[in-house]
Amino acid sequence: MSKSIAIVEDDPDQRANYTDAITAKGYNVSAYGSRREALQGMETQLPDLVVLDIILGEEVDAGFQLCRELLTKSPSLPVIFLTERINEIDKISGLRLGAWDYLPKPISLEYLAERISSLLRIQETRMQNDHEVSPSAKRIGDLSLDQEALLVSWKGSRIDLSGTEFRMLAKLVRMPGHAVSYETLMHATMQSLVTNNTINTHMRNIRKKFEKVDGDFASIKSEYGFGYRWSQS
Amino acid sequence: MNPFRRLKGPRLGTKLMLLGMLLLVVPWFSYRQLVEMERLLIQGQSHAQLLTAEGISTLFNGREDLFNDLPVAVQDYESLFAHPLQSAIRLDAKFEDWGGQLDNKVLSFGSVTGDTDGDFRVLLGERGGQLYVFMWINDPEPVYRKLDLLRLDSADQIRLSFIRTDGEDGRISLIPTEPGVATAYEMDADWRFAKGTPENRVQAVLVQTEKGWQAEFRLPLDMLGSSRYFGMAFVDVDDPEARTIANNTQTLPKAGKESFNLVVLRSPEVLNIVKGLGYSGARIMVIDAQKQVRAETGAEQTSTTSPDVDSWFDTPLEVFHFLRPYLHELTTGETWVSGSRPEDSTAIADRTIASSLNGEPIAVRREIDNDQEIIMAAHPIVSEDRILGTVVVEQNINEIMTFQRSAIEQVVLFSVASLFTVFIALLAFAGRLAWRIRNLRREASAAIDQYGRLRTNELSNEINSGDEIGDLARSVSNMLSKLHQHNTFLENMPRTLRHEINNPLNTLNTSLENLATENPEIEGSKYLESAKRGVIRIGSIVQNLADAANLEESLAAEELEVIDIHLLLRSYVNNCSITHKKCSFVYKGPDFPVYAAVSDFRIEQMLDKIVDNAIDFHRTNSPIKVQLDTNRDYLQITVANRGPTLPEEDRRSLFDSMVSHRGSHNRLHFGLGLYVVRVIAEHHAGFVRAFNLADNSGVAIMVQLPLAEGINDQRSGYADEETSATPPIAQTG
Repeated sequence: MSKSIAIVEDDPDQRANYTDAITAKGYNVSAYGSRREALQGMETQLPDLVVLDIILGEEVDAGFQLCRELLTKSPSLPVIFLTERINEIDKISGLRLGAWDYLPKPISLEYLAERISSLLRIQETRMQNDHEVSPSAKRIGDLSLDQEALLVSWKGSRIDLSGTEFRMLAKLVRMPGHAVSYETLMHATMQSLVTNNTINTHMRNIRKKFEKVDGDFASIKSEYGFGYRWSQS
Repeated sequence: MNPFRRLKGPRLGTKLMLLGMLLLVVPWFSYRQLVEMERLLIQGQSHAQLLTAEGISTLFNGREDLFNDLPVAVQDYESLFAHPLQSAIRLDAKFEDWGGQLDNKVLSFGSVTGDTDGDFRVLLGERGGQLYVFMWINDPEPVYRKLDLLRLDSADQIRLSFIRTDGEDGRISLIPTEPGVATAYEMDADWRFAKGTPENRVQAVLVQTEKGWQAEFRLPLDMLGSSRYFGMAFVDVDDPEARTIANNTQTLPKAGKESFNLVVLRSPEVLNIVKGLGYSGARIMVIDAQKQVRAETGAEQTSTTSPDVDSWFDTPLEVFHFLRPYLHELTTGETWVSGSRPEDSTAIADRTIASSLNGEPIAVRREIDNDQEIIMAAHPIVSEDRILGTVVVEQNINEIMTFQRSAIEQVVLFSVASLFTVFIALLAFAGRLAWRIRNLRREASAAIDQYGRLRTNELSNEINSGDEIGDLARSVSNMLSKLHQHNTFLENMPRTLRHEINNPLNTLNTSLENLATENPEIEGSKYLESAKRGVIRIGSIVQNLADAANLEESLAAEELEVIDIHLLLRSYVNNCSITHKKCSFVYKGPDFPVYAAVSDFRIEQMLDKIVDNAIDFHRTNSPIKVQLDTNRDYLQITVANRGPTLPEEDRRSLFDSMVSHRGSHNRLHFGLGLYVVRVIAEHHAGFVRAFNLADNSGVAIMVQLPLAEGINDQRSGYADEETSATPPIAQTG
C-alpha cells in the first residue's frame, strides 16, 4: 500500500510540480491550496506525512497554525516545512512546534523526495523499535549515530537534530580527525543555495545542542578558511 | 573649503543681548525727562510766586500814604530803623540774643571818632509790638541817681522824646538808680522833674561796663503815635558832687523845628494788609524804596528732615544722589550745579530787590543754606511814575522739590530696576534659547552617522516643548521617523526581494527538474544546464544581498569569545593555500598568542572577503602577504598584494555598500565584500583602512581590532627577527 502524502502550498505552479514529482515516486499525493481546504481534506483520514508552506494566501502564519492543529491530532505525524521564510527565527519556531524538518526554497525535487522517503522510513523504524537505540547505530567515541532512525545521542543522551543538521553531522564524523570542507558540507545539506554562512550557522546550532547536554563538548573544530573537523578528544 | 563658511553671523545670544542693550535708552530718556520736569516745576513755582507778588503789589499800588507816614520826605530825617527781631529779647543788657546779623546796622552818635565821653552807639529792633533799643554808651565816670535829690537831671540818663498818640509831646527819662537797675519817668517840659510815678510800660536795664554803660530797654509801640517821631539822647553827668550836665549827645538834630528822629518801623497798615495774605511756607516782605523792610509775614519753612520714604528705599536714593552728578553729566552733557554759594546768594537777593525796585518783576532761585533752596519773587509797587517799593515773596522750595524729586527718583529707580530685571530675564531667556537650539542641533546631527545611516528614528530633546523650538524638534523628529520608515523599507528590501523571488525561483527550479524527468532526452542538454546555472546565480545574488542587509542585525545577536587570532590566522592562511591553489600565501605573525574577543567565523568571513579582494587584484605569481602585528591595545591584520594601486578618491568610498571599483565586466560583484569587512571590523570595535604600498607596487588592507583585556602578555618579540626589524607595511597618503 502506497503511503499518502499531503502537500499544502498556495502557489498552483509549485503545488503542481511537487504533486507531479512526488506522485512519480509512487506516493499517494493530495494537494491543498489553503489552510481551510487542508483541514477539510485531512479531517477524515490523516496522511502519513505532510509538507507545509508557511505563508498560505493572506495568512502569513497559516503553516505554523496548521502544523499545531495536525500535531494535536497525531503527535507522531512527520511534518516538513518547505518555505521561502528562511529566517532563523522562523526555522526555530517551526522546529519547536514539532516539525521534523525545515527546508528552504528553492528546493531540489530530488532532495524533497529523498527527505520524504527518509522521514517515512524513520517513522517506521521508530514505530517498530519504540525509541530503543537500534543496532544499526554507528558509534564514534561518545557519539552514537543511527542513520536509519535519524537519532543522535552523545554520552547516552538523546540529541534532537533537524534532518539537515543530522546529515551534516554524519558527513563530519565519517572521517573523524579529518577536516571536512565547506563544499562537502554544502552538498550534505542537499540544498541548491548554500553559503559558508549557512554552514556556520548550522554548525553553531549543532554545537549548541551538544553543549546543552555536555558543557565541555568541544569535538566540532573550525578549520578557518576551509571547513570543519570532528576531533576525538 | 568654502571660504564663506567662516563668515558666520553673531550667535543668537549675542544678537539678543545687543537688542537688549537698546532698552538702556529708556532710563536715559527717563532721566532727561526728570531734569526737564524739575525745570518745569521750578519755573511753575517761580511763576506762581511772581503772580502772588504781583497780586500783593497791586494792593499797594498808588497807596503812597502807607509808605509815606510823614508829611515830609523820609530822607529829610535821620531815621532810626527798627529791625525786625527773629527771637525774643531778654532785658539783661547783653547783646547775644539779638542775633549776629544786625552788627552792621548799629548807628553811632556823638563825635566822629566815637570814643569821646558821651558818645553812644545804638541799635533798634522791633518784636511783638515792642520797640527794643540797645545802647553802648561811652562814659568813663558813671553817676547814679541820688535818691534824695528831687531833680532828676542830676544823674546819667537816657532821654526819650516822642509824639504821643494824642499828639502831645512825650518825654521819658531812664535813670540808673543802682547798678543794673534803671527806672523810667515821664518828665516835665524841662526834663527836671518827674510827672508822677515811674512809667512802668518802659522797661530798662543799664549795666556799668569798663567803657561806660550798656543799656537795653523796650517800650510799647502803642506809646508812639502813628507818625512814630522818636528821639533819644544821652545826658552825661560826670561830677557826682556838682551833678551838672557835662554832655548831651542826642540822635535828634540839634537845630530845626522838627527836633525828632523818625523811627521807621514796619508800617502796621502794610503789615495788616500783608498778614492776611500769608500762606504756608511762604514769607512775604514789603520793602520800601530805601530797601528797608516795611512789613513781613510768614516764615520760610526750613525743614531739615527729608520727606518720609520707606527706609529700605533710603540706600538706593542715597546711591542715586551720589550718582546724580555723573548721571546728569552723562545724559545731558552739562555739569551738575547743585546751587550757588551762600555769599553769592545774598548778592543775588540784593540784586533781585534792586532790579525789582527799578521796576522790573523778577523771580530767582537761590540757595540760602546748604540744603535749603528758595525761590524769591519780587514785584515792584508803583504809584504813578514812582516806585514805592517792592513785594518779595520767598518760598522754600526744598520740601516741594525734595518731595517731587524723590517721587520722580523713585519712579526712575523702579523703572531702572525693572528694566534691569527685564534685561537679565531677556539675557537668561536668550541663553536658554540658544542652549536649547544648540542641544537640538547636536541631537539632530547625531541622529545620522558618518555613513549617512539613521541612528535613531526620533529626537528626545524638546519634543514636549510647546513653543516653536518644540515644533521644530517635532517636525525634525517626524522627518527622522519618516526617513526611518523609508530606510527600514529600503533595508528590508533585499529580504522582501528574497521572499518574493524565492517562490518563482522555486517554481522555475522544480519545473526544470520535472521537465528533465518528463523528457529524459533533454537531460544534459546545454540549455537545461544554463537555465539551472541561471537559477543558481539569481538565488546566490538574492542570498548575498539579504545576507549583507542582515549582517548588522545578525552580528548583534552573536556572542563574542576570546580566541587566539594568531592561531586562527595561521590556520586560515594554511587553508587558503589549499582552497586557492593558483595563489601563494605568506603569513608573518608573533610567536605568542594574540587574544581578542571576537566571533570567530565572522572574522573568517571578513578574511574571506579581504583575501578574495586581494586574489582578484594580485599580480600573477606574486604572493599575498598576511601579517599580524600587536600593539599595547590593539592588533593589526594586514593583507597586502602586488598589483594595481588604488586611486586616491576611491580610498574613502571603498568600504561603502554597493561600491565596486572592479569596472563593469564583473557582474557578480556588488561591492558588498569590503562593506562586509567594514561592518564586521566596526562590530568588533575596530576599523579598516586601505592604502597603497610605499613603493606603489600594490595595495594593502589593514584591519585593527582591540585586544582582549588582561589576557595578552606584554611581549614585543617576534619569532622572526627579520619581521620585527621591518615595520609593518608603510602607508602612503
